[in-house]
Amino acid sequence: MSLHRYVGHRLLLGLGQVVGVATVVFVLTEALPGDAAVVIAGEQPDPARIAAVREQLELDRPAVQRYLDWLADLLRGDLGVSLVSGRPVVDVLTGNAAPTVLLAAVTLLLLVPVAVGVGMLAARREGGRLDRALSAVVVGLYAVPEFALAVLLVALFGVHLGWFPPTAVGTGGNLLAQPAVLVLPLVVLLARPICSLSRLTRAGMIEAAGSAYVAHARRLGVPGHRLWLGHALPNALAPVVQQLARTTDWLLGGVIVVEAVFVIPGLGTALVDAVTARDVPTIQGLCVLVAVVTVAVNLVADVVAFRLAPQTGAVR
Amino acid sequence: MNPPSLRAAGLSRRALLGGAVALSTAALAGCGGEPGTPGTGPGSPRRGGRLRAVFAGGGANETLDPHLANLFNEASRAKAVFDKLADYGSDVSIVPRLASTWEPNTDLTRWRVTLREATFHDGRPVRAADVLHSYARITDPKRAFRARASLALLDLRTSRAVDDRRIEFALTRPYAEFPNLLASFGAYVVPEGTDTFDRPVGSGPFRFESFQPGRSLLLKRYEDHWDGAPYLDELEYLIGNEESARINALLGGQVEYAHDITPTSARTYTGDDRVNVVAMPNSTMQGFTMKVDRPPFDDRDLREAMFLLTDRQQLVDTVLSGAGQIGNDLYGKGYQHYADDIAQRSPDLDRARFLIRRAGAEGLRVNLDTAAVASGFVEAASTFAEQARQVGLTVVPTTGNKDTYWRDILTNGSLASYRSGAMPIETHISQRLLTDSTTNATRWTRPDFDALYVRAVSSTDEGVRRQAYGDMQRMLHAEGGFLIWGFADFLVATAPRVGGVAANAPANTLDWARFDKVWLG
Amino acid sequence: MVGAVLLAVPLLVALVGPVVAGEPGGRGRPFVGDGPLGTDFVGRDVLTQVLLGGRTVVGVAVAATALAYLVGVPLGLWAATTRRRWLDELLMRPLDLILAIPALLLLIMLSATVPRGAVALVVIVALIGLPEVARISRAAALPLAHGPAMEAMRSYRESWYRRAVGYVGRGVRRVLLADAGVRFIGALYLVATASFLGIGVAPDAADWAVMVDRNRAGLALQPWAVVAPAALVVALAIGVNLTTDHLLAARKAR
Repeated sequence: MSLHRYVGHRLLLGLGQVVGVATVVFVLTEALPGDAAVVIAGEQPDPARIAAVREQLELDRPAVQRYLDWLADLLRGDLGVSLVSGRPVVDVLTGNAAPTVLLAAVTLLLLVPVAVGVGMLAARREGGRLDRALSAVVVGLYAVPEFALAVLLVALFGVHLGWFPPTAVGTGGNLLAQPAVLVLPLVVLLARPICSLSRLTRAGMIEAAGSAYVAHARRLGVPGHRLWLGHALPNALAPVVQQLARTTDWLLGGVIVVEAVFVIPGLGTALVDAVTARDVPTIQGLCVLVAVVTVAVNLVADVVAFRLAPQTGAVR
Repeated sequence: MNPPSLRAAGLSRRALLGGAVALSTAALAGCGGEPGTPGTGPGSPRRGGRLRAVFAGGGANETLDPHLANLFNEASRAKAVFDKLADYGSDVSIVPRLASTWEPNTDLTRWRVTLREATFHDGRPVRAADVLHSYARITDPKRAFRARASLALLDLRTSRAVDDRRIEFALTRPYAEFPNLLASFGAYVVPEGTDTFDRPVGSGPFRFESFQPGRSLLLKRYEDHWDGAPYLDELEYLIGNEESARINALLGGQVEYAHDITPTSARTYTGDDRVNVVAMPNSTMQGFTMKVDRPPFDDRDLREAMFLLTDRQQLVDTVLSGAGQIGNDLYGKGYQHYADDIAQRSPDLDRARFLIRRAGAEGLRVNLDTAAVASGFVEAASTFAEQARQVGLTVVPTTGNKDTYWRDILTNGSLASYRSGAMPIETHISQRLLTDSTTNATRWTRPDFDALYVRAVSSTDEGVRRQAYGDMQRMLHAEGGFLIWGFADFLVATAPRVGGVAANAPANTLDWARFDKVWLG
Repeated sequence: MVGAVLLAVPLLVALVGPVVAGEPGGRGRPFVGDGPLGTDFVGRDVLTQVLLGGRTVVGVAVAATALAYLVGVPLGLWAATTRRRWLDELLMRPLDLILAIPALLLLIMLSATVPRGAVALVVIVALIGLPEVARISRAAALPLAHGPAMEAMRSYRESWYRRAVGYVGRGVRRVLLADAGVRFIGALYLVATASFLGIGVAPDAADWAVMVDRNRAGLALQPWAVVAPAALVVALAIGVNLTTDHLLAARKAR
């Protein structure tokens, strides 16, 4: 299959995937107990008031009809308005995207060199004390949920030692204005993906180092560090690139928790608030955004893997 | 209103009640109005500065419409930018605000309200027409605002503006507690014709400066406020949904005021010179509802057994970490009309067992609906389940969905966790305990009780009313569906240099979450 | 060796704990130093809660991982070994859909929809893990299923079972074992994070993950209420991974 046809095929599939995600999410939100009207009523659940709100928000129309209208609007590029504020969903997305994108970008930027470095270090000392120690540390970090790690870091470095700001309260979403607030959230976000990436790198390096190809290069007298960096590493990286694509999903999960603990007004916070408020158009808009990003990132990763190692069967 | 004397009253009251939350010495000095140590305490009131206050918030889709106010931060913002005609004082009696006087006619169906001289932030005077517009907006049947139910007795078609400063309100039936209506939650006055609140204009002590939904609201002092200009130059509302984030932001010097903290945090930072804790007693009623119209709690003996098996002190000690007082199955401890002549109930397990036997409810198994709606809800349910086990009842805490909890327990189940912020006892009764109440979670429908209520609100004689409120509360205490085990303190934390945060201010009352009498030392 | 100890301690506490814990005692004040590990956020004895709290964490994580494998591996192998392209697509595309929805969002929405409880949590966590398991099994099996050995077996008319389970299944075992450790920790993580988001098991349950979340408010007053359950969870995770690493290395050496 040519690269062009492959990409075209994948783009079509991606479109179907986005619509599929939107449908699944819509069904899930419909299955949630209660709706926006019930949540708005809160501690004053006067049935007449709930009914009035429901009518006002047009929630009394059949679910299928609401879904089809939403889908029709989506195809015209219109994500609708929030049930809670009446503001366009697009404004919510663009207004909240900046802090999340910044966090994700810096995380990815730091993640690759750190994880690959740790993985290489462990692979070179395979089975040694350093390998086992690194392995224990990264696995330990992987097992600690973000919220627990965040709480510990805030208690120690934010409150007790006072090295970094404990929260991002007051930055108004402009995290770059006060870069110190980024430090603790980044450490928390990095902790988990480092594990899977560094272990993949390690496994790939060990495998590549044992391959006939590297053995041949060694016989030819290629020096050790060039052998590692120039020959073993590129081969080990193909699965790492694909795993990196998976990391975007994790990042969003981690972002939900990190944003809650550090009070960062980003997409994760918006998503949790929208689910709590049963603000269906906002939930849908956020999920479409996430699905588009996920599809795009996976496509790019597969294309890169296709170029790196066309024979591995990543494409079938 | 003189802030220092108010705070002194708050201090003595707390001392009398033996409030269990220890306050740091700096907080005591601040609350007592004594001169603080230079550099550490707030000292005496002074003008200037920006106070940053962090609240839990509504997220990216929140609005500044005061009639939509529901959450703590929305209530506080509405109070800063707007005024009501009246508000709740520290004992939840009614204190005048924009209204200076109110006078009824002889049969209590028409009330004449006089407005004080006040101006909106754009300089226009507050007129009768603004009040009528605001109330018409709130009661618009298509809008479904929260305060609509509170204003249901108003007949706006026959109400009228006598002149710019006087309004004659018509009611659909005699109502002696008309001032309660003026003070009801969310009944704010907005300028005539206002329907959008992107840049809200009110008559409150602070005027709008800038707003980022879900992030921050910046307000500035309104020099011409009728109640005196605030001390602060600027007031900034920030959002932190996690309690730990709010307290951490205070510790990190990112804010000066953290609203709604847990008793655990209060204990943790007692004696920490970075934090003062202010406890506001009698703020949140804590209890359970038993539905009296269905088994098993349609049996009066079983309800009394539930009252008697409850170890209230243990619930206050564990669930509230001691930051509260025990309840007597009556709403509104410390509020106007509260029947404090009724003896405090104490645990009596033998009598509870006897009553359970008489009700034929031995070995009864019943679900207790609860959800993580408010801190302490689930904890109270599981502590209570352990207490019930001692008399042979199997109470099974069942955790439901927190977002729809209040709707779910209104009609379903038989036993549920419940709480309520401060409101006048009359409002509590009319919203929750009458046959036609819209949120009657105990299903308490008694013609004789309804009649007592009508007698109370249609009499001009204060003695008759007091008698009727007492009789209603005696009925509820003996056999009602509300098991009210305690009243939680509301806790806020401030930086030591913040002065003027009133302690004698139950949640929802005027001085709670109020910043125009607060200063930075 | 270290791995075995790290694994054994939490497993032992989880299995034997409920037996030796006895009846839960009364309640004291929250976050005070009564008893060896003090009291928790509602004044219960932390030691008792730790002894009682392993069963659900370990149980849910093990059951969810097992369930994901039980369904995911056959799916992946089936998709890899079939020669019908449309069947492969039919099996894998719906799973891609789940992958494109963030795991935590699925967790939030599903656990709000279904009734609370350990069984529901197991199913949800398994469902979230399922697509990855199926993908990895398929990816590992693909080169084997279409390699020369398979062609040879096919020409000798070996049964599908011998080919798919016997040959391909054995071939992917190593990959799956390495993956299982990480997958198990992922399940642990989801259970714990569910508690942080206020979903899943009851907020006052005796459960290590719940304890870490609910007691963190008292971290400065009574650190044991957080540290003890957190240490057990982390030990469990590291233990599982070091042990699977060890098994893999031993197998490789043989």
